[in-house]
Amino acid sequence: MKKLHIPVEHTTLANGLRVVVSPDHSAPVVTVGVYYQIGFRLEPRGRSGFAHLFEHMMFQGSENAGKMEHIRLINSSGGVLNGTTNYDITNYFESVPSNALERVLWLEADRMRALKVDDENLRNQRDVVKEEVRVNVMNQPYGGFPWLDLPPIAFRNWPNAHNFYGDFADLDAATLADVRNFYRTYYSPNNAVLLMLGDFDPAEAFVFANRYFDDIPSHPLPPRADVSEPPQAEERRGEVVEKFGTLPALAIGYTVPPRTTSDWYAAAILDRVLHGGRAGRIYRELVLEKQIAVETDGSMDVFDANGPTQMVTRIFHRPEFTSDATIAAYDEIIRELREKEITEEELAPVKVKFRADYYSMLESGMGSHMPRFGLMHYLACFTLFDGDPHRINTVLDGFMAVTPAQVKAAAQKYLVPQNRAIVARRPAESENANGDSR
Amino acid sequence: MTTSTPATINSHPSSPPALGPERPAAWPKRTVRTLANGMQVVLAERHAFPKISAQLFFRSGNAVVAHRYPGLAEITATVIRTGTASRSSRQIEEDLRRMGADLGTSAGADASAIAISGVAEFSEGLLELLADLARNASFPVDEFERERRQKLEGLRIERATPSFLATERLRHVLFGKHPYAIVAPTEAQVEAYRHEQLPEFYRHNYSPANALLVVVGDFPGDAMFEQIEKVFGAWKSPAPAPVDSPAPPHHSGRHVHLVHLPGAVQSQVLVGNLGITRRDPDWYRTVLANSIYGGAFHSRLVINIREQKGYTYSPRSGLNALRQFGYFSVHAAVRNEVTAATLTEIFYEMDRMRSLPVTNEELESARSYLSGVFSLGVATQDGVLGQISGVYLDRLPEDYLETYRARIHALTADDILAAARRHFDSPNAQIVVVGDRAQLAAQAALFGEVTEYDAQGTQI
Repeated sequence: MKKLHIPVEHTTLANGLRVVVSPDHSAPVVTVGVYYQIGFRLEPRGRSGFAHLFEHMMFQGSENAGKMEHIRLINSSGGVLNGTTNYDITNYFESVPSNALERVLWLEADRMRALKVDDENLRNQRDVVKEEVRVNVMNQPYGGFPWLDLPPIAFRNWPNAHNFYGDFADLDAATLADVRNFYRTYYSPNNAVLLMLGDFDPAEAFVFANRYFDDIPSHPLPPRADVSEPPQAEERRGEVVEKFGTLPALAIGYTVPPRTTSDWYAAAILDRVLHGGRAGRIYRELVLEKQIAVETDGSMDVFDANGPTQMVTRIFHRPEFTSDATIAAYDEIIRELREKEITEEELAPVKVKFRADYYSMLESGMGSHMPRFGLMHYLACFTLFDGDPHRINTVLDGFMAVTPAQVKAAAQKYLVPQNRAIVARRPAESENANGDSR
Repeated sequence: MTTSTPATINSHPSSPPALGPERPAAWPKRTVRTLANGMQVVLAERHAFPKISAQLFFRSGNAVVAHRYPGLAEITATVIRTGTASRSSRQIEEDLRRMGADLGTSAGADASAIAISGVAEFSEGLLELLADLARNASFPVDEFERERRQKLEGLRIERATPSFLATERLRHVLFGKHPYAIVAPTEAQVEAYRHEQLPEFYRHNYSPANALLVVVGDFPGDAMFEQIEKVFGAWKSPAPAPVDSPAPPHHSGRHVHLVHLPGAVQSQVLVGNLGITRRDPDWYRTVLANSIYGGAFHSRLVINIREQKGYTYSPRSGLNALRQFGYFSVHAAVRNEVTAATLTEIFYEMDRMRSLPVTNEELESARSYLSGVFSLGVATQDGVLGQISGVYLDRLPEDYLETYRARIHALTADDILAAARRHFDSPNAQIVVVGDRAQLAAQAALFGEVTEYDAQGTQI
């Protein structure tokens, strides 16, 4: 196995802003990201969806760059930009030709320093977000399945268990004062990391970081909220009506061990044994062999969660099999993993694929226009959650060292009914006496 | 390094720093050769990560069979991965995993493709598997039946998806009897496939004289070429004869095509007209016009209906270039009550592009945007692969990639005006609206005669 040698340098400015750079001169482009350690989990109660709505507001104008100026300045420099909201982080990022690096930093510093938005901006983006929710969730077959369905069934602590995209009533209730307060509380340099990747000289990049970010005042962060889950004693189940799709579907989620523990490495490998494409046990058994399911997939957020999270299987099954029969077939697969050690012949290729997927993530962009997005994202997670961006070069070792015995032990400990939640998506038309409205 | 570098405290400047000089693009080393059997091979080396990606294209897709067996190219591609003369379905999947590989087999209108990517240390095995799938697929009957069932379920989901229904209807309207009219088969057509049609399509179209192989990644070019020669060199079979197709219809005047989707909570709007291919001399200027109209975040339409009016989340316009024809289209998913208002703005912005030259600032900004985004697009392995395969599949000039940025920078406001007048056909545009007809019919009727369809494409 070739060792990774991705160049990484980092520093911390006097105001607490972490700065991570990774030079790469293979193309004359740079990707810049600012990651704030705030996401769905910590949005205010009664304001579901607020972290995401707020992310939209960060494109609505800052002290020296008014509405549309952020977008105009990046596009007219030959670049693209975006932002995403996640459970534990919200990120803003741009990819530009490398001659625009300094300009991007000026913009990111301007909105870290002083957001400048008004009621009209808020009304406008509330409307935009509602259409986003409609197009991605309410007007799509299997929209939000299972990322919006499962948390309220699996978890009991509000930060983990609410509607992350937001109830429309909560979005309507959001005020400009909420925006200001959220900004003041979480958008502080000491709660963020700035990342620069691509075609530049690292020394110069640090000079730029100082020039634009060093005098942004920091303020004390609120005490870390308790996002832990109370112990679970029973299997949890729920059901959601599917309005457009015609196949019944199941999502089965097991809560996984916290990041960087030894069980975490084993759970991530276990996830790949179960879900590694068509060679994974679930697809092979349920789609190819028994042909109960039409499609299955599954995954675990290995690197980018910093709180309770699940390994989730999705199963779209044929209507002639009940959900109980489907779950019984699924449980057979789980039982075998709990009872029988997997062979080295099965484990070795799983590890090769794990490593290949890791390289792909580091190499790939977001779509075809955000070079090094994957590398940026992992560097940000390792910096904010583990305090060490250099893990990018070494983290694979832990996964490669997992043994068959550890996989079996992880299955016995985590793949148990009292650690799981199941949500069924039931097509609306199967409620009718005859389902012949296709 | 964890200490702070010495700070040079400046007050934050109130205007953005100027751009530095643009750096020249660095093209990956590219080798182009044609094997004796006619297979065209393009290699591009990128060594940052130990991965390779290979895509093998055959220049025959669903269009060549659209009038007899719609979707046959696609189901053929799907079943290819389920067996070869020497490997079972399970063996193929396990071989892939052993090499850290992903495999995709697919067919669009103009081409069928087998794409494989994996860890560079297994490049020999990856190429052998690719060649095995291209030459020795065995089409097991039970796998075909399973894939057919999956395809039927997939179609049911697609025909409940607003964006799919809109595209399907627009293509029907714009292309008429031309094969590009059909984006997916009906359920009855899938039920009617016969097993022997798949190997027949495969034998006829998967031939080296009809093939393009693009490999990008971490390998020495000469060694890679030797391996390619080894696994594909002895393969001989003739290219399929070209297939003639009827011309698409001419549309005069706007017409509205309303697809009724019961229970929809939003209106999916799609407007379009027949357009050009990437080989057309107007291509560059039309790309630039599109980026100012609605092809970028900072475009007129996005600013208007998203950032000013809040009608929609991600409206965009685009040029869709197929091999024989293209089409221009504009889409937006909007709340029901602003369907007519959205169409009004779509046409207002289109007519403005056709009436007045763009400002110098818009021109410069759009030129930089396209030039820069092009550089971003060739900075990843997938991006390089996509760009290279586009050039060779569409048989664009060899220097297309190298000259693209200069061509864009040479365009003027007059070029854009001319392109908009010719290719944004506002007076004859076809309008598709997908949603709940009770909410939308009256608004749709403001823009022309309305024909209503159900999700299966039947007129209602």
